[in-house]
Amino acid sequence: MESERRKLGGNTKAILLLHILLVFYSLCSICAKLAAEQQFMSCGFILYYGGMIAVLGVYAIGWQQVIKRLPLTLAYANRAVTIVWGVVWGCLFFGETLTVPKLVGAAIVLVGVVLYATSGSQDEGEDDLHDGCFEASKGASE
Amino acid sequence: MSPIICCFAALNLLGVFISSVSQVMLKKSASKEHSSVIKEYANPAVMGAYVLFLASTLLSVFAYKVIPLSMGAILDATGYIYITLFGVLIFREKLNKRRVAALALILIGIVVYSMGLG
Repeated sequence: MESERRKLGGNTKAILLLHILLVFYSLCSICAKLAAEQQFMSCGFILYYGGMIAVLGVYAIGWQQVIKRLPLTLAYANRAVTIVWGVVWGCLFFGETLTVPKLVGAAIVLVGVVLYATSGSQDEGEDDLHDGCFEASKGASE
Repeated sequence: MSPIICCFAALNLLGVFISSVSQVMLKKSASKEHSSVIKEYANPAVMGAYVLFLASTLLSVFAYKVIPLSMGAILDATGYIYITLFGVLIFREKLNKRRVAALALILIGIVVYSMGLG
């Protein structure tokens, strides 16, 4: 009982860390979008594109640390939140408008990603593949 | 959705596909025995995977010239479709109903989202 409670407390901390990491990861798309506004291979482009790659690299390392502390399924399910950050940053920094179909569509994709993440936990091998899948990119994901 | 957004969204989707291929190459290489730590990284499959990964990041930057930020995050979810395909075809993983339903939701969500673009 006591140890379970301690474990739960540990998980809460790890989930919080995961979410901090995911917010950080969402900066990758902001860098990509900023790079897109620059002329290819100009100083600005190299700065933002370099920032994007740096975010991916740090994220990949952070993700490896998080999945040591959390069940992989839980980590993947929580990653769906990056869709929310995409919408939020789009509105906040790039003046993107919200429409009902956009919000509903984003919500459906989010549910799909969570359902996907929780669909195959019996099979270790699968988790393994998904793990490999997303680190570098998604993991370090694009 | 305007044709130009469609084209750039397609570029982003290609980027996500290439990124998935790169991940599968890394996974394949990781499951092989290597004679040294250096060879775990300095082999054609791993180097090729990183080149593909860089190409996918460039494609996504190029796509962002036109598509909204929120769309990039949503199109990224198509990675799960390719991963599932590769899992079934290459790694002989089993497909379950829940997973198929999840992929269907991702596709439906992308279509619904796209209807909201001007």
